[in-house]
Amino acid sequence: MAERNKRNIEVPQGVDRLRVEHKKVVQGCKGQIQHWATVKGDYETLEDRLKTLPDQVSYDIMVPFGPLAFMPGKLVHTNEITVLLGDNWFAKCSAKQAKKLVEHRKKYVNSALDDLHKTRKNFEARVGFTEDLEKLSGAKGDYVDIREEVGSIEEMVRKGKQRVALKPHSKPKMEAVVKIEEEEDQEGGGEGDGGSRRGVLSEEELWARLDELEAQEEQEEEHHRINTGKNTMFKFSELKEQKQQAKRKKKNGNGHSHHGLHNITTPTDLYRLFVDVKNGEPIPRKSILKSRSRESSVCSDTSESSAADFEERRTFGRTLSHDENTYSDTSDGITEEDSPTGVPLHTTSSFQAFSGTVVEKELIPLSIPQFTIALPALPTIPERKLEEVAPEAPQEAPKRVSKFKAARLQQK
Amino acid sequence: MAEAIQKKLQSELEKYQQMQKDVSKSMSARQKLEAQVTENNIVKEELDLLDTQNTVYKLIGPVLVKQDLEEAKATVAKRLEYINGEIQRYETLLKDMEKKSDQHREVLSSLQQEYQRAQGLAVGKV
Repeated sequence: MAERNKRNIEVPQGVDRLRVEHKKVVQGCKGQIQHWATVKGDYETLEDRLKTLPDQVSYDIMVPFGPLAFMPGKLVHTNEITVLLGDNWFAKCSAKQAKKLVEHRKKYVNSALDDLHKTRKNFEARVGFTEDLEKLSGAKGDYVDIREEVGSIEEMVRKGKQRVALKPHSKPKMEAVVKIEEEEDQEGGGEGDGGSRRGVLSEEELWARLDELEAQEEQEEEHHRINTGKNTMFKFSELKEQKQQAKRKKKNGNGHSHHGLHNITTPTDLYRLFVDVKNGEPIPRKSILKSRSRESSVCSDTSESSAADFEERRTFGRTLSHDENTYSDTSDGITEEDSPTGVPLHTTSSFQAFSGTVVEKELIPLSIPQFTIALPALPTIPERKLEEVAPEAPQEAPKRVSKFKAARLQQK
Repeated sequence: MAEAIQKKLQSELEKYQQMQKDVSKSMSARQKLEAQVTENNIVKEELDLLDTQNTVYKLIGPVLVKQDLEEAKATVAKRLEYINGEIQRYETLLKDMEKKSDQHREVLSSLQQEYQRAQGLAVGKV
């Protein structure tokens, strides 16, 4: 208590001194403002005089003669004015030119005045604050300084276990949630400790899972790289994949999204992906490229000459057609925005040989044209294939249609 | 022992005071220069407002000497540069002086502490 009193006495002294200094500054400002105001007034009278001076060729005036006497005289050359420009420089000007100079100077005076006004306001505010602070510390005014004494250490120990420091890389939101949990637990008396730990674990779990999937991702990428020797397509798609996965982690339990993404192996799935604009019914996009042009530009390496690529694409196409039958309804819709670019990775990972059973549905002819018009995710269909296939198949869309047709035709 | 420290303290104090005076001198010189800079800036701007028809004079002592407008502008510009250079010089000087004065202040405070300790000992002894 004695300490507190001492503190109170010390603080007002300091605060008092501060207030005094602030007030000094304010006074100084006021003085300067007055000075500049008089200067401004002078310039204004000068302006008026300059306006009227050239009205007459000469004026009869009383000329000051020494400090005590005046003498009648004439004011001639009324339009010629010698102006002091500053720093011992003079210029002879007409009345109008002099007026211009005066206006220029007035600008300067006004700016100085504005600055001074601002500083004065500033410091007046500060004075107000220090006065409040004084009241506060003196505890005389309406304000009361709410002070909480830090209790002894034993009290803290008795209250409950101390909080466990959260992991540095945990997300802030999660942190806040966990902290609240912990607080509640502590109030409950330490029994909720397990709960808080659980909260922490779930975060850990998430990060572990994320790392897992990243590793998986890299493996797949490696795999594909070995097969195709291409890097460009996957840089971007990898990022997208990671993003997707992070999103999925957040959902944390929405199994459908997982399911949906990993199982895109048929054209129908892809079609579904591009049918996102749903106004009551799935409306297919006219051009996939257009909506996802940015993404697809990365994947547009259409070097159809590489044999490895060619092979891989063929198998890829076959796997797609193989799994068609497993998806019968298009109303599943698109589960992830970014899945199209993620598709090639997942589909290529499962290098299935074509089993030979194709179940064609009515949807397919519908799906294929749109799907194949511009597949950003899928590799573009090599034109060699087209040459092989006779153009029996309905080629409504450009050549790319034929790949799957070709596969089917071959089977037949 | 205490007396020796006291003497040291005195000498340090004097040195510090001298430093402070130098610092304040440089400060005031710099302020003057600042005022000159603003003035010359105004002159420059006003000369720009004039044209060659007006005669420009320079006050040299009690005499107003006619000058060419262009010459006057050039002279004012040169003067401005010179003043700015001087300001820079003074600034560096000021910084150095401040550093030195800070060092001195530290030395002074340490000496003061010693002195107080010695005083305390002396009192204790007595």
